[in-house]
Amino acid sequence: MTEFEPKEKFKHLAKIGPNVLQCIACGDCREQTDYTANPPKWGVCVAKDHTSGFEPFFARGKMQIIRSLWQGKLELSKDMADVIYQCPTCNACAEACAYDMDNVAMYEALRAELVDAGCGLEAHVPMNKAMVELLNPYERDNKLKGKWLEKLDFKVKDASSEQSENLYFVGCTAALTPDIENVAINSAKIFNKLGIDFSVLGEREVCCGSVGMRTGDLKAFNSVATKNYEIFKKSGVKSIITSCAGCYRTLKKDYADYMEELGITVYHTMEFLAKHIKEKNVELKNLGVKTTYHDPCHTGRHMGLYEEPREILKKISNLTEMKTVKQAAKCCGAGGGVRKGFSELSLDIATSRVKEAEDTGAEYIVSICPFCFRNLTDAIDSSGSKLKMIDLTDLLIQALN
Amino acid sequence: MSKVKEAYSEIESVVGEDFVSDKDFMKAAYSRNVDPAFPDQWADIIVRPETTEEVSEVVKVANKYKLRIVPRGGGADLVGGSVTSEGILLDMTRMNKLEVFNKDDYYIVVGVGITWGDLLSQLIPEGYTPGVTGPGSGFAATIGGGLSNSTAGGGSTKYGLVPDNCLGLEVVLPNPEGTIIRTGSWANKYAQPFCRYGVSPDFSGIFLGDVGTMGIKCKAAMRIYREHPYKATRTFLLNEYDYNKLFLLAKKVRYELPDALLGFSSFPPFYFAQFKNITPELKKTKGPGASITLEAMDLETLEKRLKTLEDIMKEDTAMVPAAPGANAKPNLKQAFHYFQAGISPVPGRIAMATCHKVPISTLGKIHDENVDWNNRHANDIPGSVPAGVFEATQYLLPNGNMVVLGGVAGENTDEWHEKNMELWHSKIRTQARYGGAHYWLGESISQAVAESGAYTPEYEQFFRDMKKTVDPNWLLSPNKFHLHTYESKFKDHYKEPD
Repeated sequence: MTEFEPKEKFKHLAKIGPNVLQCIACGDCREQTDYTANPPKWGVCVAKDHTSGFEPFFARGKMQIIRSLWQGKLELSKDMADVIYQCPTCNACAEACAYDMDNVAMYEALRAELVDAGCGLEAHVPMNKAMVELLNPYERDNKLKGKWLEKLDFKVKDASSEQSENLYFVGCTAALTPDIENVAINSAKIFNKLGIDFSVLGEREVCCGSVGMRTGDLKAFNSVATKNYEIFKKSGVKSIITSCAGCYRTLKKDYADYMEELGITVYHTMEFLAKHIKEKNVELKNLGVKTTYHDPCHTGRHMGLYEEPREILKKISNLTEMKTVKQAAKCCGAGGGVRKGFSELSLDIATSRVKEAEDTGAEYIVSICPFCFRNLTDAIDSSGSKLKMIDLTDLLIQALN
Repeated sequence: MSKVKEAYSEIESVVGEDFVSDKDFMKAAYSRNVDPAFPDQWADIIVRPETTEEVSEVVKVANKYKLRIVPRGGGADLVGGSVTSEGILLDMTRMNKLEVFNKDDYYIVVGVGITWGDLLSQLIPEGYTPGVTGPGSGFAATIGGGLSNSTAGGGSTKYGLVPDNCLGLEVVLPNPEGTIIRTGSWANKYAQPFCRYGVSPDFSGIFLGDVGTMGIKCKAAMRIYREHPYKATRTFLLNEYDYNKLFLLAKKVRYELPDALLGFSSFPPFYFAQFKNITPELKKTKGPGASITLEAMDLETLEKRLKTLEDIMKEDTAMVPAAPGANAKPNLKQAFHYFQAGISPVPGRIAMATCHKVPISTLGKIHDENVDWNNRHANDIPGSVPAGVFEATQYLLPNGNMVVLGGVAGENTDEWHEKNMELWHSKIRTQARYGGAHYWLGESISQAVAESGAYTPEYEQFFRDMKKTVDPNWLLSPNKFHLHTYESKFKDHYKEPD
C-alpha cells in the first residue's frame, strides 16, 4: 500500500495521477530571490506576498493539502476554498520548482473537487452560470459582442457564413468592455491593413470557457467548449487568432485535442503578427514613446510567449524592462477568478505591478491581455499613477500608419 | 472552552486574526517538511508573528495554557525539525528583513526568517557576502534554520559553519515572562551588535545548534565579508580508491592555499562517471574525486592559485578539463535545485540523510566504518539504490575537519516507514559512536545521538538544567534529543550497537 495509489474519491486529482504527490515540500515556491537567474527572480508568489502568507497561499501548502486529501486525512471545505481561490494561477511557482510539475493543472483539479463538493466560491457562480446561459461571463446580452464592428470603416467577414483562412476570436473582455474594445478594433484594422484574410463571429462568438476551467467549474467549461467545437468545425478555418491571453491559453492548451482533430492552429495576435511582419518585411515606425511590457501569465508562463511582443515593441518604441520579466514576471492579480472573488486583493497585486512599471520611468505600460489591461488600468486609476495603460495593438496600428 | 481555544483567542488579539489559524487545511499544509520518512504532524495553532514582541506575547500565552511551541523557518529540512503534533507552530518567515547592512563595520542584522536567496541577492551585488552562502536544503531555507542547526553550506570550507559567523542574537526565552534578551556585544544596551565575545559569557552559543530547544531566535547579527569576484572550480579524480590519500590532499590544499580555498567537496567514483571517457588519464582513475573552488580579488592571483592547486594534485589525480580562468560564477539556481532534484518521493525512495563532522585525519577509518554498516544492513534495505551512497561525500571545513554526508535511501511505502526510521537511527548511532559530531539535528538525528549514549550523564544533566532555567514549563521543542520532560533520561532510549 502506498500513498501514491489513485483515490477514486477525487476524480479530478486522480486524472493527474501520482504526480499530485511529487512535491517534496522544499519551499522553493515560497521564496526564491535569485539575482543570478536569467531573468532574475525577485520572489515567487504574489498571492503569498499580498495575503497573510500562510502556506496554503502558495504552492507548497496547496500541495500538502492535496496530499492530505489524497490520504483521507482532510475534507474539502468552504474555508479551504476561501484560500485556494486567492491564487491567480499565474504559475510562477512552477517556474521556481525543481520538478517539471504542472501546478496550475493541480490547482484547477483541486478547484474542480471543491466545486463538485459544493464548496466552490459563491462569487464565481453567477459568472459561470452566465457563461453557460448567456455565452459570456459578464452577464450581458451576447449580441453586444458585435457592437465594436460598427466602428470599423471596412467590412469584416462573418465566420458563420463566409469562408476565411483565419478566425479572429475577440474574447468576451474586449468585445463587451467599451474601454477595451479598441483591442478588437485595432486588431481588425491591423489585419485589414496587412491584407490578412480573416473573419469574426461577432454576436455568435461563444466564451472560450477560461473562467470555468480556471475556477473549477468543468461543467460550465465543457458546455461552452463543445459549442465552440461545433462552431469552429463549421467555420472551416485553418487558424484562430486571438488578442486575449486567456482565450489563447484556453484555445491552444485546454482545447488542444479539439484543435488537433480540426487541424486548426491557434495564435495570439502578436505571435501571428510578429511572424507576418518578419516574413513580409513590414515597415514599422518607431513612435518614440517610452514603454514597459507586462507579461500576461496566460501568454507567458502558461504558453512561453515572451519574445514576439518584445520584438514588435522594440521596433516601435523605446522599451525599458521592469525588474521582474518573462518567467519571473509578477502577475497582475486578475486571473484564476481572483478579480471576481477577491477584488481588493486583485487590485492590491495590480498596484504593486504598476509601481514596478513606474520604476522604469516609462510613459506606457503595454500588455497583450485585455484582462490584465482592465486590472492594471484600475490600479493606475486608484493609485493616481501617471502611467498610461495600452494594448500593444494600439501602438502597432499607430506604427503601421 | 478548551485551553487551545482560549489560547487561540488570546494569540489572535496579539497578532491579529489574519496571522493565526486553527483550520484543518492549514494544519495539513504545515504537517511536514522535506521529510517523507516522518508521519504528518498537525499543530493545534499556527501563528505568523511579525515582531519579537509578538513572539514574546505568544510565548506568554503558551506558558499560561501549557502549550508546546515549535518554531519553524523555511521548513526545508529532512529531519523532522519544525513540525509538532500538538501545541503552537510559530512560522517565523514574516520576520524576514535585512534590517542593518553596515558596510563600515562589516555586519548585518536580519530577521531570522530571511532566506539565503534573499540575503545573497541583497549582499553580493553590493560586493559583500555572508561567507557561508546557504545550506544544502536550498536557498529558500532561512538564516534562522542555519543557526538552529549549526549548518554548513556553500563557502563553509573558508568561512566555517553558519553560527561561526554569528555576532549576536535577539531571542525570546520560552519562560512565562516571554523574556527578550540580546547576546554578544548587543547585550550591552549601549552597543551595536558588532562583536560576539567580551561583555559576558558567550550566551549566543546556547541558542546555536539548539534545534529550537532553548529559545526562539528572532533576529541575528552576522558577519559579512568582501565578496571575491574571481572564482574557479577544478575537478580531480584520484588515481586510486584511497580515502587516506584524499585526506592528505585536503590537508595539503588547505595548508598551501589558506586564503584562496572557498570549497572542497569530494564524491564517490560513480558520481564522476560522466568524466571518465574525456581523457585517457581520467579513464584510468579508480578513486573518488574532488571539486575544488578557489577565489581571488583579481584574475592574475586566481590563475597563480590555480597553478598551485594543479601542482598539488597532479601526482595523485587526473584533472577534468575546465575552461581557463575564472569559470565559477555564483549560481543560486543550482543551489536551489541540485538538492531537491535528487530526493523526489516519486517513484518511491526517500533520502534519510545525516551530516556529521569528523577530523580529516580519520577520513579513511570512518569511510570503512560506514561501508561496514552498509554491508551489514545490505539485505535490510530493498530496491536497487545502494544504501548510504552519500557517506563518501565530504566537504572540507576550516581547521582540519570535514563534513561527511551519510544516510539511508529508503523505500517510501507505508510498511517501510517504521523500518526506515530504525535504520536511519541505527546509522546515526554508529556515526556518533565513532566520534562524529552531527549537525542539522532535527528530531531524528538529535534523538539518535541521544540513543547512542554519546552524552555523559553529567553533560545531560547540565543540558536539562540549562533548559529548565530558560524553559521552566518545558514547552519549547521537547521532542528533540528525547528531552520529552525534565525528569526523563537519555538512557531510557539507549540502544546497543547493532
